[in-house]
Amino acid sequence: MPWLVGLLGLLGFALVVLPLIGLLREASWSNLWSDLGTPQAWAAIKLSLVCSLWATALALVLGVPLAWVFARVEFPGRSFVWALTVLPMVLPPVVAGVALLDAFGRRSFVGARLYDWFHVQLTFSTAGVVLAETFVAMPFLVITVEAAFRALDRRYEDAAVTLGASRWTVFRRVILPMAGPGIAAGAVLAWARALGEFGATITFAGNIQGRTQTTPLAVYLLLESRPEVATALSVLLLGVSVTVLALLRRRWLARA
Amino acid sequence: MRVRTTPWFAAVLMVGLVATGCGSSGSKAAPTAAAKAPTTTVSKLTGTVTVSAAASLTEAFGKIGADFHAANPGAETTFNFGSSGALELQIEGGAPADTFASADQDTMAKLQVKNLVDAPVVFARNQLVIVTKAGNPQHVQTLADLANVGTISLCGLTVPCGKYAAQILQTAGVTIPESKVTRGVDVKGTLQAVATGDADVAIVYVTDAKSAGTSVAAVTIPAAQNAVATYPIATLKASGDAAVSDAFIAYVMSARGQATLRSFGFLPPS
Repeated sequence: MPWLVGLLGLLGFALVVLPLIGLLREASWSNLWSDLGTPQAWAAIKLSLVCSLWATALALVLGVPLAWVFARVEFPGRSFVWALTVLPMVLPPVVAGVALLDAFGRRSFVGARLYDWFHVQLTFSTAGVVLAETFVAMPFLVITVEAAFRALDRRYEDAAVTLGASRWTVFRRVILPMAGPGIAAGAVLAWARALGEFGATITFAGNIQGRTQTTPLAVYLLLESRPEVATALSVLLLGVSVTVLALLRRRWLARA
Repeated sequence: MRVRTTPWFAAVLMVGLVATGCGSSGSKAAPTAAAKAPTTTVSKLTGTVTVSAAASLTEAFGKIGADFHAANPGAETTFNFGSSGALELQIEGGAPADTFASADQDTMAKLQVKNLVDAPVVFARNQLVIVTKAGNPQHVQTLADLANVGTISLCGLTVPCGKYAAQILQTAGVTIPESKVTRGVDVKGTLQAVATGDADVAIVYVTDAKSAGTSVAAVTIPAAQNAVATYPIATLKASGDAAVSDAFIAYVMSARGQATLRSFGFLPPS
């Protein structure tokens, strides 16, 4: 029944597209720039950019080695460790926020020590936003990069080793360039996820204008007082997401 | 015994409401329910209504909803708790709610102006209170002390508890820079920031402080500086089950409903 497949496919497409059309219809295009320029919106955009880029950088620094371990190192309980690492992908973000509070809040087992020893408080701080975003976004990078590492042809590494390259040189000069597109894709995915983070951020880092109020938080709060600004910010986030997908599309098509 | 007397009470009260005009002479729903009352007893009331209610009513309405169902086994309530402002937007957007209970009259008035609700009745009042970490480690005594603590959790400025808090701080002449304020999306989120999060103080309703138990300490705001939150409730014009909604409102207004509200710390409507 090809018509049925076609019909269901069409419905599926409509399900995704109709809300987006609704959002675009609501937007007041002539005022889009001035709406985005209101102090609260602009503060949220700047904060979102800073936090999501920091989160992506952290996810890269910590996630790429992790992906390498999962792709290449056999150790007991690997699948269990892997499952724990990617858990934030399926964890409800609010639960992630509560878990972060229980670990890094000022009265928690890690957070209390951070505060007593170094006077570092992560909750209600921009660093807390970065932590929450990294927590939820890093798994996206890890699984993308792990797949990229697994797809590598090992013969290139072997050849480099026979030519006398050290393990570090092989990693730097052979593996990284070959896995580069995969790492970039993982970073972009993680960045997009960090940019859209809401639940973990508001639970753990709160909602302080200019300090922890990122764009999605501002959208939620502005929805009641300045719906047009909330819509403008939503359109901006939508635009970013579409751009990210367009950038990744070629890569996905190439794999399929 | 309870099951038989309470519906009676509700029916009497509802007729009384309509007779005195409290139940809105212009509304279509209340008279319908009252007209039905003589022929069909209220205990035969069937149907499920969705009640969109201010987050501060979470505990009290949970109890009242269960009692209402016990008194009217055929009738059930499902609740949609959130900030009054967010709920009002949902209703404007056509959310399938039957009853709306707001934590302020301004939000209800927005729906009245758009002719989306029957005439509301005030069913409770509430006051605000400062909450701190358990044991009040920073020794907060007055509103002025709020200027000297770390992070202060307040409701969003469009959420009723946020408006009341702003009003209270203004009356007290206390200015708090926005960089020290974290904004909760509703009063429960605002309280949570202190109860489980790392915010130092919050301004919430007396009833929420009471529900939070020992996880926070409450510091009373003097009456001269405090605000009184007024809670109206109304059946939506678009309700598919106005009779059940009206019966629920009547139950909230009944002696038992009022006693439940009192037990959660709400003040009588007047």
